Amino acid sequence: MTATPAATADPRVAPEIVSSVFYGAAVSNSLALLVAEMVDDVPRISWGNEGAMHLLGYALEDLRELPVAHLLPSLRGAELRLLLRRERTARMNLPIRTASGVFTECVVLCTPTPTGRMWNLRVVSADNEQERALRATADAHERRFATLTERSPVPTLLSEQGMRLAHVNDAFCSLVGLQSEQLLGTGWMACIHPDDLDHVIEQVAVVLGGGDGEAHARLLQDDGSERRTVIRFAHLFTPGVGAGFVGTIEDITERLAFEARLAHQANHDPLTGLPNRTLLAGHVAERFVRGQTGLACLFLDLDDFKVVNDSLGHAAGDGLLVEVANRLRAVVRPGDLVARFGGDEFVVVCEDVDEDDAVTLAERIGTVLAEPVRLGGVDVRPHASVGVTVQADEHGCAEDLIRDCDIAMYQAKNGGRGRITVLDQQARAEARDKLRLVADLRDAIERRDITLLYQPIFGTADGLSTAVESLARWEHAERGPISPVMFVPLAEESGLIGPLGALVLDETCRQLVEWDRLLGRDGPCRANVNVSALQLDDNLRDLVFEALERHRLHPSRLSIEITESALMKDPAAARAVLQQLRDLGVELAIDDFGTGYSSLAYLRHLPVDCLKVDRSFVAELAEGHTEITAAVIALAGSLGLSTVAEGVETAELADQLARMGATYLQGFGLAQPMSGARAAAWFALRATEPRP
Amino acid sequence: MTVLTFPTPGADVTAPQLSPVPLLAAAPSFDLDRVLASIDTMAAQKPVAAQIVAVANSDDTSARVLADILAADVALASRVMKLANSAYFGMRGRVASLQLAVTVVGFTTVRTMATVALTGLDDESRLPEDFWAGTTSVALAASLLAPRFGERPQDTLCLGLLAQVGVALLHHNDPEGYREVIAEEPTFAGRRAAEVRRYGISGTRLTSVALEQWGFPHGMVAPLIALDDRSSADGALLRAAFEVAARLTQPGYQPVDVAGLTDGQLREDAVGPVLEQVAQDADDLRRAMLDG
Repeated sequence: MTATPAATADPRVAPEIVSSVFYGAAVSNSLALLVAEMVDDVPRISWGNEGAMHLLGYALEDLRELPVAHLLPSLRGAELRLLLRRERTARMNLPIRTASGVFTECVVLCTPTPTGRMWNLRVVSADNEQERALRATADAHERRFATLTERSPVPTLLSEQGMRLAHVNDAFCSLVGLQSEQLLGTGWMACIHPDDLDHVIEQVAVVLGGGDGEAHARLLQDDGSERRTVIRFAHLFTPGVGAGFVGTIEDITERLAFEARLAHQANHDPLTGLPNRTLLAGHVAERFVRGQTGLACLFLDLDDFKVVNDSLGHAAGDGLLVEVANRLRAVVRPGDLVARFGGDEFVVVCEDVDEDDAVTLAERIGTVLAEPVRLGGVDVRPHASVGVTVQADEHGCAEDLIRDCDIAMYQAKNGGRGRITVLDQQARAEARDKLRLVADLRDAIERRDITLLYQPIFGTADGLSTAVESLARWEHAERGPISPVMFVPLAEESGLIGPLGALVLDETCRQLVEWDRLLGRDGPCRANVNVSALQLDDNLRDLVFEALERHRLHPSRLSIEITESALMKDPAAARAVLQQLRDLGVELAIDDFGTGYSSLAYLRHLPVDCLKVDRSFVAELAEGHTEITAAVIALAGSLGLSTVAEGVETAELADQLARMGATYLQGFGLAQPMSGARAAAWFALRATEPRP
Repeated sequence: MTVLTFPTPGADVTAPQLSPVPLLAAAPSFDLDRVLASIDTMAAQKPVAAQIVAVANSDDTSARVLADILAADVALASRVMKLANSAYFGMRGRVASLQLAVTVVGFTTVRTMATVALTGLDDESRLPEDFWAGTTSVALAASLLAPRFGERPQDTLCLGLLAQVGVALLHHNDPEGYREVIAEEPTFAGRRAAEVRRYGISGTRLTSVALEQWGFPHGMVAPLIALDDRSSADGALLRAAFEVAARLTQPGYQPVDVAGLTDGQLREDAVGPVLEQVAQDADDLRRAMLDG
C-alpha cells in the first residue's frame, strides 16, 4: 500500500541499454504497454506496444489519439483521475473495451512520468486461462460440497464466523421446521434449548480455536416439541478468511426414548407400573444419611393373597395387585415412594416423618385397602400386614432399614392378619441372631460339620433290618445341638437347602460303601434319604445320579423320601421329577403320608414304591384308634405299595403293626438313630445273633 | 470555501492549502488528488492498523499472527474483543482471548476494523451526522441479504461497514460543503449524485479507490464501482442494502421497489424480516464498532 516512486531512467544508463530495453518492451507479446498523455486537457493514448495491440485488437495508428476514456468507459466523469494519478502509481481492476467492442477484465497499473502529463499503463488480462481453470476447479469443488451437504440426510450446519451460520442444509431445516433464511446468521440459536445454549457456545469456542467438539443439545421444533441431539463440530479453516465450523447433528430422541424405556423396564414392575426392588434400593440409599432420622419404610404383605390366586385364578390375583398398587399410590403423600418389592409385597418410603406419622400412614393404608374389590364376581376385602421402621441410630445403611421393616412385617404377620407392627429392639435382635445362624449353617455345610445319624428300618416278615434312614444332625459349637426342625427350614429360607441336600446324599452314599467294605452282605442294603420340597426340580435326578456314580453304587441302594405336602405343591412337576428318579432306578417313598391332602386318584399315578405312615397315626394306635393306620396300610396294599410305620416306640406296637400288614417298621423302640460307625457295629452284632 | 487535506485521526485540522488546477470538472476548490494522496499518508499515523490492513487477508495469515499484531493497539484490540462478544456473533461473552476474538469475527472483519481505525471512522465527532446509524444498517442489511446473492455474509458485512469511507473523506475535506450536500439530498442515491456534481466523484467510488489501493479483494471493490449502474449485477446487493438502510434511517423516505434495484434477485416480501433484524441489531453493532 505504499506508493511506488515514479519511475525515472537512471541517467548513467547507456543509451544503447535504454534502447535495448525499449525494443524488448515494444515487441513483447506477453506484456501489454500503453502510454497516455494529456492532449487538449483530454488524456489520450499516444503509443502502444505489440502486446497492447494484440490484447486490444487495434493497429498502432488506430490506438494513437484514442481517448483513454474510450478504452475504459467504466471510469465515468472525474473517475479517470483515480487511475491517472499525478504523483503515484495506481492499480485498478477494470473492464477494457477492445476494438471489437467486447470488454475484457484487466488489471491496469498506471505510473505517471515526472512531468505529470504522461502515464505508462501496464495492462494484464485478468482473464487468463490458468486463472480461469483454477476458478473453475474451485467452483466445481464448491458445488460438489454444496450438493453433498444439500442432499445429505444428516442435518448439517456451516459457520464461517463465530456462531453465525453461512449455510444450513435441507435436513436441518426439516429437523427444526424452519426455512434456511430463518436459521442463517444467529437465527438458528433460537432453535437450541436455552438451557443447552451456553454449552453449545462453549464447544463452538473450542472448535473455533482449532479443537473438536461435541455437545448434547435439545433442538426446539416449530410446533414446540423438542428433539434431543448430539451436535458434532469440526474446525474449518479458510486461508485468508479465518475459521468456522461444520456441525453435524445426530437426532438421538428415539434412541434416548428407547433407553429410557429400557431403564424404566429395568426399574419398574410391568404389572403395576410401580418402581421395583432395584429402584427402591437406590431411592432409599440416595436419601439415607447415617445418624439422621425422619426416613421411614413401611413393608406391606397382603394377607391371603395365595387364597385369591388359587381360588379365583392368576388373572384375579394380578387384578388385586394392580388395585392395591393404585390405592397405595392414591393414599400416600406426594413425594412418597410406593414400590412393589415382589409377589404380594409392597414398600412405601416416606421422608421427614416420625414413628407416629408412619403408623398413621400405615393405618390409613389399612383402611383404604380394606375397601372391597370385585374380582371374578366376588367381593374381596384385601388386608395387609404392615411392618413399620423409622430410621434410627442402629441403622448403618439403607439395606438395614429395608431389612428391618421386612422383619417388622413378619412380626405383624405372625401376630395375625391386618396388623401393623413397629420393629422393636427385641425383634431386631432376633432377626440379627437368625442371620448369624444362617452364616454358621453355611460354614457348617462347607466344612461338612453336618453329621448323619442312621436309624434302622425293620421288615415285619422276618424282623430283620435291611435298610436305614439318614437323619441330618448339627452340633453348633456354641449353641449345642440344633434340631433339623429348625435348621432345615432355615436352609430352605436362606438358599442353603441345595448344598445341604447334596451333602446328605453324598455322605449317605459314602457310608453305604464303607458299610459294604466292613460288613459285606451283613450291612444295610438300602438307605433312605430325605429330600426337601425345594429340591424337587429337574436338577434332582442329576444330583442323585452323580452321587451314585461318584461312589459306584447301584441305584437300588437308595430310596428317596419326599413328604406328601412337598408333592402336593405342584403335583404335575413333582410327578415328572419322580418319574425321572424312578427311571434312574432308585426307590421312592412318600414321607409323613396322611398329613397332607393327597388326591387318592392322583396317588395312583405317582411312580412310588412305599408310603411312610406318619408317627402321629401310629401313636394313635396305643389309644385304640386304628382307623387311619389301617386305612393307609390297606390303601398301600391295594395299590401294590409297601409301607413303613414310623414312630414305633414299643414291642406291642410293632406286633400290632405287623398284624395289621405293615411291611416295615421304624422307631426308637426298635433302634435309635446312630452314627455310621455305631451302625456298623450294630449290624455286625445283629449278623451274629440267631434269627428271631 | 477552504480546501483541507485529509486530517489524520487525532490530529488537528491542517492549515488550508491552495488546490492545483483540477484535471476534470469538479468543485473549483476541491483537490481530489490531495484527498487521494492522503489515503497513503494515513497508514503512517496508525502503523498497527496499517499492518493489519496489509497482512489480514494473505493466505498465510493466522489468528495468532493477527492477534499478536493487534495486541499492540489496545483500543483496536478491545474493539475486536467487544465485537466478537456482541450479539451479532452470538458468542454471548464466551470470547476471552484476542486470538479467539480474531477467529470469531474473521480476518476480513479484523481488517475492516483496522481500516475503520485507519480512516478515523471511529471518531464520530469528525463524521457527518448519523454516519454510523446508516453505515451499520447498510452493513447488517448486506450481511443478512448475502446468501440470497451467493455472497459470504462476512464479506458483505465488511463491505457495508466500509462503503462510506469515501463519504467520510469528502466530509473531512469539505465539512461545510458536505453539510450542504446532506441538506440538499437526504437520500443515499441522491447524495451520491450530488457528490459527483460537487466533487466529480461519489463517496462510494472514492471508497473503492481506497480499498483497491489497500489491496482489498476485487470482490469488495466491484460492488462499490457498480453501485449506481443498475444494469450491473455486481452492485445489486449493495443497492438493496442501502435501500434497507434508507427505509430505517431516513425519515420520510419513499421506498424504491427492491426487485427493480436488484434485477429481480430480491423481492419486496423478503425485505420485511431483514428490516426487523437490522433494526434490532444495528445499535449493538454500532456500539461494538466504536469506543465507549
